[in-house]
Amino acid sequence: MAAEKGEREGRKQRRSESAADNQADMTYEEEPDFSDPEDFVDDISDEELLGDLLKNKPNETDSIDNVIIVDNIPVVGNDRLPKLQNVVRKIYEKFGKLVNEFYPMGDEDKTKGAAEAVKATNGYKLDKAHTFAVNLFSDYDKYENVSDEWEPPSPKPYKDLGNLRYWLQDPDCFDHYSVIYEGGEKTAIYSNSVHLGAVRDPTVVEERARWTETYVRWSPQGTYLATLHQKGIALWGGPKFDQIMRFSHPGVQLIDFSPCERFMITFSPMPPKADEPQSIVIFDIRTGQRKRGFNCEQHAQATWPIFKWSSDGKFFARLATDTLSVYETTTFRLLDNKSLKIDGIRDFSWSPSDNYIAYWVPEQDTNIPARVTIISIPSRTELCVRNLFSVADCRMHWQKNGDFLCVKVDRYSKAKKAEDTGQMKYAGIYYNFELFRIREKQIPVDKVECKENVLAFAWEPTGNKFAFIHGESPRISVSFYIVRPQGKVDCLKVFERRTANHLFWSPTGQFIVLAGLRNLNGVFEFIDSADMTVMAQTEHFMATDVEWDPTGRYVMTGVSWWGHKVDNGYWLWSFQGRLLQKQQLDRFCQLLWRPRPPTLLSVDDVKEIKKNLKKFSQRFEAQDRLRQSTVSTELLEKRRKLMDDYERYRERVEDEFNSQKDRRIAFRNGVDTDELDNLAEADYEEEVIEFLLKVEETILDEE
Amino acid sequence: KPILLHGHERSITQIKYSREGDLIFSASKDNQPNVWYSLNGERLGTFQGHNGAVWCIDVNWDTTRFLTGSADNTCKLWDCETGKNLNTLDVKNAVRSCGFSYSGKLLMYSTDKTMGHPCEIHIFDVSDSSQMSTFTGSGEPMMRIPISGSKITSAVWGPMEEYIVAGTETGEICQYDVKTGEKIHEVREHSKQIKDLQLSLDSTMLISASKDTTAKLFDTASLDHMKTYKTERPVNSAAISPLQDHVVLGGGQEAMDVTTSSTRIGKFDARFYHLIFEEEFGRVKGHFGPINSLAFHPDGKSYSSGGEDGYVRVHYFDQEYFDYRFEF
Repeated sequence: MAAEKGEREGRKQRRSESAADNQADMTYEEEPDFSDPEDFVDDISDEELLGDLLKNKPNETDSIDNVIIVDNIPVVGNDRLPKLQNVVRKIYEKFGKLVNEFYPMGDEDKTKGAAEAVKATNGYKLDKAHTFAVNLFSDYDKYENVSDEWEPPSPKPYKDLGNLRYWLQDPDCFDHYSVIYEGGEKTAIYSNSVHLGAVRDPTVVEERARWTETYVRWSPQGTYLATLHQKGIALWGGPKFDQIMRFSHPGVQLIDFSPCERFMITFSPMPPKADEPQSIVIFDIRTGQRKRGFNCEQHAQATWPIFKWSSDGKFFARLATDTLSVYETTTFRLLDNKSLKIDGIRDFSWSPSDNYIAYWVPEQDTNIPARVTIISIPSRTELCVRNLFSVADCRMHWQKNGDFLCVKVDRYSKAKKAEDTGQMKYAGIYYNFELFRIREKQIPVDKVECKENVLAFAWEPTGNKFAFIHGESPRISVSFYIVRPQGKVDCLKVFERRTANHLFWSPTGQFIVLAGLRNLNGVFEFIDSADMTVMAQTEHFMATDVEWDPTGRYVMTGVSWWGHKVDNGYWLWSFQGRLLQKQQLDRFCQLLWRPRPPTLLSVDDVKEIKKNLKKFSQRFEAQDRLRQSTVSTELLEKRRKLMDDYERYRERVEDEFNSQKDRRIAFRNGVDTDELDNLAEADYEEEVIEFLLKVEETILDEE
Repeated sequence: KPILLHGHERSITQIKYSREGDLIFSASKDNQPNVWYSLNGERLGTFQGHNGAVWCIDVNWDTTRFLTGSADNTCKLWDCETGKNLNTLDVKNAVRSCGFSYSGKLLMYSTDKTMGHPCEIHIFDVSDSSQMSTFTGSGEPMMRIPISGSKITSAVWGPMEEYIVAGTETGEICQYDVKTGEKIHEVREHSKQIKDLQLSLDSTMLISASKDTTAKLFDTASLDHMKTYKTERPVNSAAISPLQDHVVLGGGQEAMDVTTSSTRIGKFDARFYHLIFEEEFGRVKGHFGPINSLAFHPDGKSYSSGGEDGYVRVHYFDQEYFDYRFEF
């Protein structure tokens, strides 16, 4: 890699040198008139005067920079030589005038646009058996001069960064989260000590002013915290949140990590440069090396992440018109040096667990149906193809374990081409969910239909249930379905007339939060999908965000300053919807839980724990009780101290107050008003007032 | 069940109890301050004569005189019993806060800084008729304290008629000597406007309510900052309970922003904090808008709140309130 880069740079330099030469020539010619008189006889040769300059004078024929060597040209007999020469000439005339050709047993070729010619035709397939290997002649020179002795590069001094995963060793398993507030001025890392009950404020792990210029991101396994700056990105980690690495990428706006935390992709809206793509850059996180740059169209924000990673981080892929480009991270080149040509491809998605890609193509004009295809990478074999008709749009949703893929298909009953824009207009849209069972033989597909507008869809992350929101406001419903192994897809429950526009499953499954965010004012419902009970219905007025903690024990709801300007802050709830903590923060912007790496426990271990849950929970509950009692003792001690301080203060001021009593009485004409009742006794006179309420006359007896 | 005093047409600006607690005085942006029986909420009378919003009121210790300051550039002295206007002090601009001294012999008011006139504190001797002339406009005050810097938004008399404590538009709290007019002391604990200053019953402690969403407790004499009570809304008023170690805070979003918040979630609550531990332990709902003024009954068994919604609500505490104890 490094050699390649050096070579490229060398080439660039050489080109600029020759440009400089041209410049020198020009100025030479434009010198003011120093012409000799006509009778002057020049007795000094140019060689003598400008020998050093003339040596550099560019010469098309003898500059080896402009010589390229084309290998692998077929060996032919003399009779067919002219024909071959013609073919080769044709290929290279594209790049400039051929000055000289020479065909020995191997062939040699000279062109003006040598560097470009090398770039474009290296690997050119003349026919099946002959692929050109094209090199600059000067490169031969260079590589011949490489010393045969290999010198090992001196290793960089190792920087001990401490244990980057120290936070997982917290004895209480408190999770970290990052909070940005004061409109971005302050960033803090808190430890979620909320279940200590009496604790009112979160435990601060680290807090810094102007830590980031826009926002922060955790890496997928929580090892690094990325902060974005005008000049690039910085990664932080370890117990003290030291800076681990810096990546220069001016104007960076977006960032994405590979799932394995080895690579990072960043985007900056910089004008594209031909020779050094800089819009999108891929870095190696551990070495800080820039691995590759890409150019990018301006609307990157809309489709970020542009590059999608395979779950193991070995591949990344990007969509282009009619092509799907898959790159591998060993070479950072296209897999097998070519993209997949897929006519009309609209979207694709990696499986979160295997190296499968699902993609879909819409219907083509000539009555070819729309298609959803799952292929395996790197073999590119098709695992499953599903044909679909009357398709307006598709959305792919993988279940987190990669067991299922749901494709939400928007289907139409009528389609019309709009005359002015040429775009299709669809009418009578209805929805299908195509459910692919990835783990079952031959990937069977089930179908669930929905006649109503679908607003949101979400898989249970580790289970076989899914939920979606459908209907028109205000008649919004939430439906739950289960995909039974080897069986049917059944509707479990429909919750009707709900206020919800987002679904948030607990990362461990079973529990789900239905949220009505933003224009629905922040109402929440906590549902246990095991028995479909509503555990809590609550509200966090104007909430804009919901975040489950990585263990599925807590939920954060927040009102971000980015979305709403008043009442910014976040609230923490238990997974049952019990409010645990309200944290109002001035101009609170963002809360992100620190992700955890995947569990080290095997499936059997987890089963074992679930079986003995009672035993474990007893132990933890005892711990919690102990901890809570120490916390409440601490709190009581604190209060005791405050009370003592206050009492001392009161004693002092009351002494002073009492000493002024005479003056006070003097001020108020001798009346002591210190006690309310004093006056009452002295001044109040009891007065009895009789009112005539009513006169009534009753005749008792006429007699 | 609170008693609702409905007699004002516009938002309440200030409420005060008489020293004995039997009467509640209320002022609002309509031009007529009212006086009510605190026990049953019956209206006793109104004070008619102002031509502008009444910003501030005070009543002297034996409840014989009543003082009002208004946006009509006057400060009026009334006879409490008859409701008769005794004196009208003409001022150059709106009167923002006013008060009787401990003895009731002196009165002071502070003025707004508008129309080219500076913010000033004026002190009058109530018994001196040359200062208090009714018909020739106001005479020259006994003391005139010009305020440099930002304008005064709330002012109260210190305990022994020696100084006046004033809070400013930018959050400073200052003491001004009554005799010399000098600024004796200044602290800067709040970052935004002081909306209200109230003393404890014995005047030894001072609570400030500020737009910076906090209320703070100070020692009146030294202005030492002692406690902070935090909310998430501007605090318009705060009062110290004369009976318990409690304070009550009231406030809410400013009127212009009210539409963006929901009454359901109770940002217009009166909020009770423990005086010493700074911990909130209770809320009382009721108002449809921000609370502008709060006052404890002098016996500490009830309190009143006046809101932007134009109502005064008189709340009597239930037994639970008196039984509630913080552990320590």
